[in-house]
Amino acid sequence: MPPIAEIVSGHDLLQVVWASLIAGIGVTAAYAFAILGAARAVDLTRSGRSGEAVVFGVLCAIALAAVAAAVVYGIVIMTTK
Amino acid sequence: MGSDVIVVIVVATALAFDFTNGFHDTANVVATSISTRAMPPRLAVGYAAILNFVGAFISLEVAATVAKDVVQPDLITPLIVFGGLIGAIAWNLITWYFGLPSSSSHALIGGLIGSAFAANGADAIIGEGVMGKVMIPAVVAPVLAFVVGGLGILIIYRIVGRQRPGLVNSGFRAGQVLSGGLLALAHGTNDAQKTMGVITLALVANGTLSADHFHVPDWVVLSAASAIALGTYVGGWRIIKTMGSRIHKMDTAQGFAAQGSGAAVILASSHVGFPLSTTHTITGAVIGSGAAKRVSAVRWGVAGNIVVAWILTLPAAASIGAVTYGVTRIFGTGALGPVVVSVAILAGSALLFARRAARGPAVTAPEAG
Repeated sequence: MPPIAEIVSGHDLLQVVWASLIAGIGVTAAYAFAILGAARAVDLTRSGRSGEAVVFGVLCAIALAAVAAAVVYGIVIMTTK
Repeated sequence: MGSDVIVVIVVATALAFDFTNGFHDTANVVATSISTRAMPPRLAVGYAAILNFVGAFISLEVAATVAKDVVQPDLITPLIVFGGLIGAIAWNLITWYFGLPSSSSHALIGGLIGSAFAANGADAIIGEGVMGKVMIPAVVAPVLAFVVGGLGILIIYRIVGRQRPGLVNSGFRAGQVLSGGLLALAHGTNDAQKTMGVITLALVANGTLSADHFHVPDWVVLSAASAIALGTYVGGWRIIKTMGSRIHKMDTAQGFAAQGSGAAVILASSHVGFPLSTTHTITGAVIGSGAAKRVSAVRWGVAGNIVVAWILTLPAAASIGAVTYGVTRIFGTGALGPVVVSVAILAGSALLFARRAARGPAVTAPEAG
């Protein structure tokens, strides 16, 4: 049997590792920022600081858009190979 | 005519395996959503069933690996495929009975290897394919999911750790609808394809399809997708209990991190054609998300039992596959052997289900609503 380095497709394995790290951690972090934005926007609105609330609302929207884009991009890659 | 009967039996057995795969494995997909109460059990299972069905149509890379890179297609007969399938089904039923989330995928590949080995010796096994596309990814995937799940939850706590728990929990509970859906979709892309690969292998072995122009017929894709979706819907409550609460108690953020990282690893692996175990992967992610918060939060004894089941899966399914092939050959190369074995496995399954039912439901699932 050939050595392990020849058996395993290093390119494929590496692709799985980096794609998993970027997608898994990236989407998780983006969603956490969306929740942070929503939570802070609610709190700031209640305390009458509507200007800052809008900033956090925008953060929430951008983060959610990033999550949605990542999911759609992932599925498009899967279906177009 | 006789070989066509065997192929019909093999296709029916493969779809039965696919059903048990859904029944056995997909529970893992919904366990985290249920344990954190992100979704009611029945709704979660139905949702996962639909997305499993959809996921089965997304890619065919894993089907190609199972059909071409594990055993030598030109040395395979429908009887060998049948032996492999019975090895996988029997091992799935045994581990289901004892509530162990072992890998249906490795059971299938183990059964196929054992049956092919019994028929043709080591020449029938593609060692490089088994090692490079099954064994090494099998080790890498759960470790990777563990790392991604662990890092994910640490980042989440860093970002939202100082916010009010009520809103954060609601947010992640909603997020689990997305991450759980992605995990179910990922499961469909990887697990349903293994059955497609096995059916295609049997069709090639029978001469129904050409080995030179590999393709999975549409009816194979549709029937495999339907079988796994149906199995998912019926559900496997004992394994839901093990995955959802016995390893460690999860909060909604941990559930989200575990499902998201599991989905990322499985989808990336499906893309390059690695026939992974979703069970291994999601368990790695669940343990990672628990250990990153507090190492002692993980019930390592339960996790250890799961690892033991993983280690046993390949040789156990291979042994059953080899014995099954031997038993079917006692009856010659016709359809009688598969018929006798099918009747025996159905009787054994009925017995196990009856004993399981007599013990009552394994988990008390709150009603949806």
